[in-house]
Amino acid sequence: MASIRHSAGALLGRAHRRHYLQAYLFISPVIVLFTLFRIWPSLQTLYFSFFKVELLKGRLTYVGLQNFIDLAQDEIFRRAIANTLIYALTIVPLSAFLAMILAVLFSEHFHLRELFKAVYFAPMVTSTVAAAVVWWWLYNPQFGLFNSVLRVLHLPEQPWLLSSRMALPSVIIFSIWKTLGYNMVIYIAALQAIPAMFYEAATIDGAGPFQRFVRITLPLLAPTTTFILIYNTIFAFQVFDQVLVLTGGGPAFSTNVVVLELYTQAFQRYRFGYASAEAMVLFLFILGVTVLQYFYSRRFEVAY
Amino acid sequence: MPRSAEVVAPLPARGRARVQAALGSVRRLPLYIVVGLGAVLMVLPFYWMVVTAVSPAPDIIAFPPKWIPSRITWEHFQEAWVKAPWLTYYKNSLVVATVSVGLSVLFGLFAGYAFAVYDFPLQNVLFLVILGTLMVPVQVTSVALYVFLSRIGWVDTYPGILAPNFASAFGVYMIRQAIKAVPMDLIDAARIDGAGEARIVATVVLPLIKPTVAAVAMLLFLSSWNDFLWPVIVINSVSLRTLPVGIALFKDPYGFINYGPLMAGTVITIGPMLLAYAFSQRFMIRGIALTGLR
Repeated sequence: MASIRHSAGALLGRAHRRHYLQAYLFISPVIVLFTLFRIWPSLQTLYFSFFKVELLKGRLTYVGLQNFIDLAQDEIFRRAIANTLIYALTIVPLSAFLAMILAVLFSEHFHLRELFKAVYFAPMVTSTVAAAVVWWWLYNPQFGLFNSVLRVLHLPEQPWLLSSRMALPSVIIFSIWKTLGYNMVIYIAALQAIPAMFYEAATIDGAGPFQRFVRITLPLLAPTTTFILIYNTIFAFQVFDQVLVLTGGGPAFSTNVVVLELYTQAFQRYRFGYASAEAMVLFLFILGVTVLQYFYSRRFEVAY
Repeated sequence: MPRSAEVVAPLPARGRARVQAALGSVRRLPLYIVVGLGAVLMVLPFYWMVVTAVSPAPDIIAFPPKWIPSRITWEHFQEAWVKAPWLTYYKNSLVVATVSVGLSVLFGLFAGYAFAVYDFPLQNVLFLVILGTLMVPVQVTSVALYVFLSRIGWVDTYPGILAPNFASAFGVYMIRQAIKAVPMDLIDAARIDGAGEARIVATVVLPLIKPTVAAVAMLLFLSSWNDFLWPVIVINSVSLRTLPVGIALFKDPYGFINYGPLMAGTVITIGPMLLAYAFSQRFMIRGIALTGLR
């Protein structure tokens, strides 16, 4: 508008005041939606964890720490925690390690490289549930492809999802297949950011491929590795879809994980307070990893 | 790393370069074997899904396994198609994913602009609170969110499915980062020209940060399209089921005997997504790489 008549100071003052309003106007939808559907439920979860919640009767009974005491003694929940930790501690390093090797191979130029890369990434874009249904069929002990192939090769057939010893590893194999492409792509992007002159200099100094990998690639990928480990761990704590489809938590709770346990308690047994306490334990695990990340990323900032 | 002997060789040395290139290919044989074998393992489940879906029933349980069907049949698709309302599932998934992407990007654009361009009281606190919600996934809040939605009557409704997706902290964060790289001079110039702030966002900022917005939209679409836990909690009606809920519930009643229709169902569920991926994989992979490296 015709603002030339105003003095500069008045103009700036007015502009700033208008910008406060503008800023709050622009962020208000996000703030309102977040408060209602994220922050409020988060606080409610904490609150509910101290109550016996009977949704149908609309009744809340304060029970103090009883839910947490019960949790500590709950064999099934302890098993779910253990399974979740085993799952996370296995799949995360395995997937990251394989992804790094693949990414290093993919930094070579070869025919059909882009096609291969796309193939490795394909599981990432598919629905976990639908992919797990396919794997459930592959794992079928009688007619499934995996045992058919083992039979052709005269190798011992496996019970896969039906045995309490092999069910969790079977779920982990599926999850590696599902997550490998994502981690690989992140590593490839990180590798491309390493200046070629580092490698040229090392080659001139007489470093072999293995030495170049250990002395240059590995340390320069460290921040990416930290990111991948942390991100994958947080994600692994939330595992649910594939477990529900592949095993439903069985056999004999051998694949029961925290989110499945929480889901069962809340939405099949309607123990909302108890499930909220389980959710708080899950949150504490995620918080722990996030805090770890904070300190680690600070250490890397110092290192570089 | 640079390995371009065959590219830079001068013309007289062409023959030698060709020999070198051939040697290079031989040296890369182990690479091809490792990458190729891995790729076969990655594709195998998809291949077997399709083969099972189009094989006649005896082939499915044959030993040794029939890698190529003795004839192609569509009967499993017909059976799967009449047993579940796939078109309804598709419609629901599409509505949910489109609305969550649309609203998240729209709100994220304005919120991201406000956080990147303005100085206002509580700016950092509010931004940290939004980022903090990334730490509390829906897996943690599902119980309380369900209780809250049941009080306001949103259980088993579209808004109920959308509730956790309405605004995305990830979107706000990515868009703010992108807008921070936009020169303030451009925005000031537009202001001097008399453009309103909303118009600046739409006509100056948005075109400049299109790659980020596209990547964010794609990722939000994927995660909403493939989301399972929250929809399975909040949906009761068949008419509101999304695809992942549909296929999970399709497996249970029929799955343990009829593998053919079950695999036809998974093809119906993920086939179109895989096709879309085949055509846009470069864009999708670049998008992931862009947003993953924070």
